[in-house]
Amino acid sequence: MGYSLDSLDSIDSLRVQKWLRGIVGSLALLAIVFSATGVVVREGEAVLITRFGRPLRAATQPGLHWKLPFPIDRATLLDMRRRVYETGHTEMLTRDKKNMIARTFVVWRIGDPIVFIQSIGAESAAEGKLDGLLTNAAIGTLGSHDLSAMVSTNPADLQVDQIESELLSSTAPLAMRSYGVAIDQIRLERIALPEENTAAVFDQMRAERRQFAAKFDAEGEREASRVRSEADLEAAKIRAQGSEEQARIRGESAAQIAKTYADAHRIDPELYRFTRSLDSIDKLVNSNTSLILRTDTEPFSLLESKGKR
Amino acid sequence: MRRQGPPSEIARLAAPVARVLDWAWQRMHWWVALMVVLYMFSGLTVVRSDEVAVVLRWGRLVGETPALQEHGPGLFFAFPKPIDQVVRVQVRHVWEVPVTTLTINAATYDPNDPANAKSINPTAHGYALTGDDNIVHVSMVARYRIREPAQWAFYGPKSEDVLRAEVTAAMMRSLGEMGVDRVLAEGRKDLIAIATKRAQAGLDDAHSGLELSSLELTRLSPPLSLATEFDAVQSAYIGAETKKKDAQGYAESVIPQAQGEADAAVQAAHGEASSGLATAKGEADAFHALDKEYRANPGVVRERLYRDAVEKALGGSRQVRWVPPPTGRSYNGFRITVRQGAATPSAVAATDDEAQ
Repeated sequence: MGYSLDSLDSIDSLRVQKWLRGIVGSLALLAIVFSATGVVVREGEAVLITRFGRPLRAATQPGLHWKLPFPIDRATLLDMRRRVYETGHTEMLTRDKKNMIARTFVVWRIGDPIVFIQSIGAESAAEGKLDGLLTNAAIGTLGSHDLSAMVSTNPADLQVDQIESELLSSTAPLAMRSYGVAIDQIRLERIALPEENTAAVFDQMRAERRQFAAKFDAEGEREASRVRSEADLEAAKIRAQGSEEQARIRGESAAQIAKTYADAHRIDPELYRFTRSLDSIDKLVNSNTSLILRTDTEPFSLLESKGKR
Repeated sequence: MRRQGPPSEIARLAAPVARVLDWAWQRMHWWVALMVVLYMFSGLTVVRSDEVAVVLRWGRLVGETPALQEHGPGLFFAFPKPIDQVVRVQVRHVWEVPVTTLTINAATYDPNDPANAKSINPTAHGYALTGDDNIVHVSMVARYRIREPAQWAFYGPKSEDVLRAEVTAAMMRSLGEMGVDRVLAEGRKDLIAIATKRAQAGLDDAHSGLELSSLELTRLSPPLSLATEFDAVQSAYIGAETKKKDAQGYAESVIPQAQGEADAAVQAAHGEASSGLATAKGEADAFHALDKEYRANPGVVRERLYRDAVEKALGGSRQVRWVPPPTGRSYNGFRITVRQGAATPSAVAATDDEAQ
């Protein structure tokens, strides 16, 4: 204790030290035992326990599991999360004998770890198996439906839900039994036509566009001329009504005027005739009129008789 | 611990190092205690503002319902490993994925290649069929966020793959039940709504824990080589609409114009009527007045009126000729000639031999 730098250096401290060492030592032992025999299975994972290479059981429930230490038992970690696999493009024939190209995708996960490990082994190999399974199912299922079951403007024709559930029911039990793969979902990702067939579609689309353009032109023309002629007719009607109204007003006013005059003149028809005659003279004579009068016309007769006398 | 014997050169040189080691060794319990404390606190986790944390205890998810499973932003205390494992998930962040599975591959598409005008290779370029067997290209941008962190983290498929596949499938199917003209025009909104709904249903079905927050169409068009034909239809449509509008404009101008004319005619008639009536009344009143005077003095009034009229007539006429009264009951040898070429009978030559 000659190197002591501290006053805590005592019998007491030595006892604590010993006690601590004991704890640390047993903890370390516990940790070693735990790491050899305990298996923590996380959510979304499974652990396959094999005894001397023979699959013993699969721990699929998350939580703490136990095994015998290496080399008796071995634990293999498996990712149980769902995965998406998209198949390749597959050309097939529909029931109505149309060539089509389909692509599906599948959402799958490991359903039975023991079967999966035994039949497939690596996860990457599962996709090849699934591809074969799905392609077969797609050829079979789509071959029993018309193309219009997938592509149609008539809702009664469409059967995509049915096709997808048929695909699922024709693959899921088999995949589970043979490969330990659980299929959650299969969907049609693409429906296309082979390149040769697209040429016909292009031609048909072109023809349809031309037809539409012509239809719009004709319709526009027809509608415009209809609107114009209706407007002209309406305008003519309005004008005619106006003229009718005008004529009526004129007639009424003429009658009223005539009545006014008649009422006045009835008082003295003789004077009326006289004044009208005088008015007529006034109206008849203008700056272009030449008058030829007899010299005995009143009042010039006065001049004549004077001259004679 | 310490060796006995004469101190060697090495021991002498190592003495300070040994002293420090010895000092540290003697305080080993402190170090152990410190490490234990650090280990105890190793489960302390900071959950950032856009995250939630879920806890696995012995690998099992803690909490029965999502509300109990998820822990919001802040300091979070968990047991140290291997008991607890804290998984933080960015739930508020919105991610964006371009979906180009249904559009042409721009890298390999040559618009000048005549083969591309005739057909399209479905494996090299994406497209979808509409319900009326037309080909359209769609490219989309899907935005998503994580709605169920535990589901997504432990059970869901890798997010972007499943999103791309589900959105493609949903769009392909939704296009397959609509006509091309609807899709390219007013049906676009419906299309997006239907496809979004379908894609979300698919994502739920796949236990992805994702929420498709929006789906945007960055392109929705017929094949490039058919663009002129589609444009022609568009312009024909616009042309037709313009013609209809012009016709309506014509109708809107011609009818009020006719109405205006009719109103003016009626108005004029009313005006004429009232002025005519006023004149008539005035004249009637004047006649009454005259009549009154005439009754009082018929001879004088008559004479005055007659003379006024004759004077006015004489004054207003161009020429006045006088002829004597006929001898007996008729004129003999009396002739009036009207000069030819004159606009009006302007001159009267009277020769009256007999009368003279």
